[in-house]
Amino acid sequence: MTSELQLIEAAKAGSADAFADLARRYRERLLRFLLTRCASLADAEDVLQDTLINAYRYIDSYDPRWRFSTWLYRIAIRNASKLRGPDLVEIGDLRDEENDPLLQCIAASEKENLWVAARRTLNDDVFAAMWLRYAEDMSVNDISKTLDRSVSWTKVNLMRGRRTLDAELNDAARHAYG
Amino acid sequence: MDKLAKQLREDADRINVAITDELDQRIEASLRSVTPVRERAAPRARPPLFWLASALTGAAVALAVIAVVNRQVPDEPAAPPVTVAEVTPTIDLNMEAAMLTAPLQQELEDLQSDLKKAEEKVKRDIGL
Repeated sequence: MTSELQLIEAAKAGSADAFADLARRYRERLLRFLLTRCASLADAEDVLQDTLINAYRYIDSYDPRWRFSTWLYRIAIRNASKLRGPDLVEIGDLRDEENDPLLQCIAASEKENLWVAARRTLNDDVFAAMWLRYAEDMSVNDISKTLDRSVSWTKVNLMRGRRTLDAELNDAARHAYG
Repeated sequence: MDKLAKQLREDADRINVAITDELDQRIEASLRSVTPVRERAAPRARPPLFWLASALTGAAVALAVIAVVNRQVPDEPAAPPVTVAEVTPTIDLNMEAAMLTAPLQQELEDLQSDLKKAEEKVKRDIGL
């Protein structure tokens, strides 16, 4: 199996096949994340496509000191933000409950998905920080680079996010057990 | 991994996503239509010896300039320096005095002559 670095080097040399291989490793993960950032599945797919195209177009500027996933997520967040318009409205304001892509992709379950609660209670940036930390296992440094925030902002907001979701989790447990 | 982290991880995995064939083809097609943008090559870093050589060359040139400036013999003046006194026309004070006093002298002599004539006339008139 070709290593990620080899694929990146080949892509830098102009191999679209190498980049397509690389993209296959990340596209599901990126799409899952974009579902939480976009108002519809179609928007999420469009942003995924734009993200991969931009990443390939500017692959030469990729700095190997960063994790490739950090770089990709940064591009994805920037592309998703373009859909929010110049005023950067919250995604929730654009989303319509019936076509919510996240709800559509969550298997029917009695238990509420904690990410739905997270999206309801956290703002977009804190949600993204929590996602990158707990769904993507990113380090605090990588999250701050991806979100273009300071390390201290990231730490503080991860802590706030955790506290909020802990409360949600405890509430859910209380309701479940009466 | 604590309870919350575990729950978040599991719930993220419960979000079912699938890349449809249509999306896959769209992505593949758009990747093939794109050419990576080449970044302009950054200027190559100069080797450390370059800076040493530059510094030494600069110092050598500075020393050469200092040496040349200091070895220059002051040019002989084209003409010996002329003092202001030499340039200023000298006035022959004696001659000038004579020239200046000549009319007065003449006047004096005329007056003395007139006086003498007047004395002689008076003497003659009184019969001396």
